Amino acid sequence: MPLGLYISVPFCRTKCSFCNFSAGVFSRSLFDRYVEHLERELAGAERIANAMGGRFEPEVDSIYLGGGTPSVLAPDQLARLFAAVRGNFHVHASAETTVECAPGTLQPELVETLLACGVNRVSLGVQSFIDRESSSVGRLHTRAITLADIERLRAAGISDISVDLIAGLPYQTKGSWADSLREVVATEVPHVSVYMLEVDEDSRLGRELIAGGTRYHAHHVPDEDLTADLYEQATEELNMAGISQYEISNFARTGRQSRHNLKYWTRQPYLGFGVDAHSMLPSAGSTEPHAAVRFATVDNLDELLAGAPRERTNVDRTAAIEETFFLGLRLNRGVSLAEVRGRFGDDAVSRYEAVIADLVEAKLVELQDKVLRLTPRGRLLSNNVFERFLCDRSPVRDGPGT
Amino acid sequence: MDCAFIRNFAIIAHIDHGKTTLSDRLLELTGALSAREMLGHEQVLDAMDLEKERGITIKAHSVRMLYTAEDGNTYQLNLIDTPGHVDFSYEVSRSLASCEGALLVVDATQGVEAQTLANSYLAINHGLEIIPVINKIDLPSADIERTKEMIESTIGLDASRSLAISAKTGIGVHEVLEAIVQRIPHPKGNPDIPLQALIFDSWFDSYRGVGVLARVVNGRMYQGQKIRLMSNGKAFEVESMGVQMPKPVEIRELSAGEVGFFFATMKNVADTKIGDTVTDDTHPALEPMPGFEELKPMVFAGLYTVDSHEHTLLRDALEKLRLNDSSFFFEPESSVALGFGFRCGFLGLLHMEIIQERLEREYNLDLIVTAPGVRYMVTLTDGAIIEVDNPSKWPDPTLIEKVNEPIITATILTAEEYVGGILKLVEEKRGRQKNFEYVSANRVMLTYELPLNEIVLDFYDKLKSVSRGYASLDYHLSGWWESPMVKLDILVAGDAVDALSIIIHKDHAQERGRALVSKMRELIPRQQFEVAIQAAIGAKIVARETVGALRKNVIAKCYGGDISRKRKLLEKQKEGKKRMKRIGKVDIPQEAFLAVLRVSEES
Repeated sequence: MPLGLYISVPFCRTKCSFCNFSAGVFSRSLFDRYVEHLERELAGAERIANAMGGRFEPEVDSIYLGGGTPSVLAPDQLARLFAAVRGNFHVHASAETTVECAPGTLQPELVETLLACGVNRVSLGVQSFIDRESSSVGRLHTRAITLADIERLRAAGISDISVDLIAGLPYQTKGSWADSLREVVATEVPHVSVYMLEVDEDSRLGRELIAGGTRYHAHHVPDEDLTADLYEQATEELNMAGISQYEISNFARTGRQSRHNLKYWTRQPYLGFGVDAHSMLPSAGSTEPHAAVRFATVDNLDELLAGAPRERTNVDRTAAIEETFFLGLRLNRGVSLAEVRGRFGDDAVSRYEAVIADLVEAKLVELQDKVLRLTPRGRLLSNNVFERFLCDRSPVRDGPGT
Repeated sequence: MDCAFIRNFAIIAHIDHGKTTLSDRLLELTGALSAREMLGHEQVLDAMDLEKERGITIKAHSVRMLYTAEDGNTYQLNLIDTPGHVDFSYEVSRSLASCEGALLVVDATQGVEAQTLANSYLAINHGLEIIPVINKIDLPSADIERTKEMIESTIGLDASRSLAISAKTGIGVHEVLEAIVQRIPHPKGNPDIPLQALIFDSWFDSYRGVGVLARVVNGRMYQGQKIRLMSNGKAFEVESMGVQMPKPVEIRELSAGEVGFFFATMKNVADTKIGDTVTDDTHPALEPMPGFEELKPMVFAGLYTVDSHEHTLLRDALEKLRLNDSSFFFEPESSVALGFGFRCGFLGLLHMEIIQERLEREYNLDLIVTAPGVRYMVTLTDGAIIEVDNPSKWPDPTLIEKVNEPIITATILTAEEYVGGILKLVEEKRGRQKNFEYVSANRVMLTYELPLNEIVLDFYDKLKSVSRGYASLDYHLSGWWESPMVKLDILVAGDAVDALSIIIHKDHAQERGRALVSKMRELIPRQQFEVAIQAAIGAKIVARETVGALRKNVIAKCYGGDISRKRKLLEKQKEGKKRMKRIGKVDIPQEAFLAVLRVSEES
């Protein structure tokens, strides 16, 4: 089965207040060192996969440059990365090749470079079409810039564009959100991601919200109920516009779902490179048919460049079954119980009979023709659903690999 | 020793008025401890950490000093250190019954406090010779004359012969020793009649069994003697005896008038009840000493461990503490909200706090205490009378004919400016005024009857806050009132949370119900469905709030990099739910119960 490749670029022009990723603002002198590091990792991919006990696969049908903001890299640096990818893997001609870009960074030279690198899909971190909302969290672009960037990409031949929006930004109201949704529909992009603002200790805004303060416009952040309303509003508006929900946070016109991201939810193999990059490969040595290994690099740039080892987790049969449910249920297509039975055996479904009955009764999931799906309410309470699919044990953890 | 050369005395003082410093100074002057030994051994008498920290005495002690007076004779001075808190007033009375005199220590900068007053009256009632000692005269704000006035006006003692001293600097301490010899009468026991010895404290020693502190009133007690406890008739053999000087010194005999400790073959501290009389088993006395009472707990609460796995540790710790303190009782109880715990009875609030603190410190337990309550006399419609000290055992309202609740008489001493606030507080607490008296220019003594139930809930803290700490309180149990008491339950989605039920006066039920319900609403996490939180008396709902249904609990972003992390998050969430307590269909974190229990203490 062909691989998906993920390359993490943890650099940004500014760090947004809601950002809970290991990305940040670093000096340009680091960029070169980092690209060199990625070139080495890509060249050593097979060795790394083997060392981690995974079955290596040179065929690649999706590439995703995420971040951070990969578009802050210089054109020659991007070119070197793609050269390293193509030099070490067999990339299918039709491979979906996505680069995440910040609106306002798409200079003509960058667009040309993207085309030259074979990039055919761009994901834009728009967050909101209301300038006050996007600037309140530290975005540097405006609605006008976003619209111009979309036009520029189209003119260059990249029409596979995804727009990220956030529900729950400071100052957001149902009215302003309706405006953002109307704008995104009007751009006719084929793919939209709608993320509800995550409030946790890993972002500045999250910490401020937890502390109940007023920095970063935290006191203008919609409450949980309103955010849930905004999400439902988005689901409704986008579905009506033909941009159908296919995952909790993702919407696409027919045939334009993200091939790369689908791999995560359907447990297809992938390899990640760079800071905080995760990989999953079938286990090379195990006699268990569903065993896999998952491994990840450290989330600290200095440690990564200093050669910090990857951490490995074995995914055994039970963990694979659990993931099949809690990842697969994220998709609107749901989880086919017949398929699960076929792949893992009867007990993989029978063990959840009581859980499923319970969740159906609570109207969090529905079971139709042996396919289990979240209800719209279940989508908003999906963590309450997913935790029920965790068995009473933790996955076995090995020591650090190399 | 000839009784003529023995003096037995206690020291009565309010917290921080200098009792311990004076004791130390007396020990030093009589050579029982050298000044060098005193250094770094400050406050020799209060040995327990808690006693030192709080500046209070919990267990009684006695120290024997030898003093050669100005008349050339050497006297045996026995200082009997008594507990100084209202919860232990019975113990105090037994200690005082072992003395012929007392030093009344009053801080020259503070004046007489309620505690001093109560213990002084106790001492006067026992016929003790009281020597007023005005302490801290070295401080600039000392006012000796005013202090004397207060001693005369509040206690009614002649203060003309009071001693003015500074225990800290040593000024006047020699005169205290002379006054003890000259003014306190010697004991009047007869060593040649059958033994009568008064028990005023006992403790458990893991090597030697139960140790007993006693005052021999008549007769003799000696090693190897077969003795008998008059309250229960149990006989034991005296194995060893001693006195504290203040280090323990073994002796062979105690005779009439003397004070000391002994170990017999006793294994159970509950056998040696304070106030009981020890006599000779073969030649018993005809009568025990008067004044013996069986101690009954007055304050009740449930004790639980935060970590339910520590339940057996709590039981072991309670058993060990009980070895040393037979005045509190415990029995297992269980609560849906809090798991397995114990219903405990205490002499009073301080006693409860002390037990709780000792459990937490000495046994390293993290405890939850339910709202303290008292014991009610409930008359049922069929005429039966039952005692109820646990809300879970409260009868159905339709079966109750009437309820009687324990009443205390409280004495509050305070400065004039706080009287308004205090009056308001005692009225809120259903108090009835018995007396209102100016004891000096701006000091007021209030006497009130109050339900004990109102005192145990939060009275101390409120009194402290309305008086900014300038009010002292003493109380004693003084009777019963018939009151319309009801059981207030807190219901979550229709199910009662047992740990939060309280017995309360009907007129206060709604207000407290509202407070508890609104606090619960803040603390209960939103569930998948709407949850009603209600306060109810029987079937009648008196307050209600609603926790809205949970709208969203979702991981918005879940891509390759997040799967392990999200799994951990889900596992954590699942673990958290396991630790929650389930009331009906509602998961409630234990912290919510803790917070509510704390609120009910504060509000």
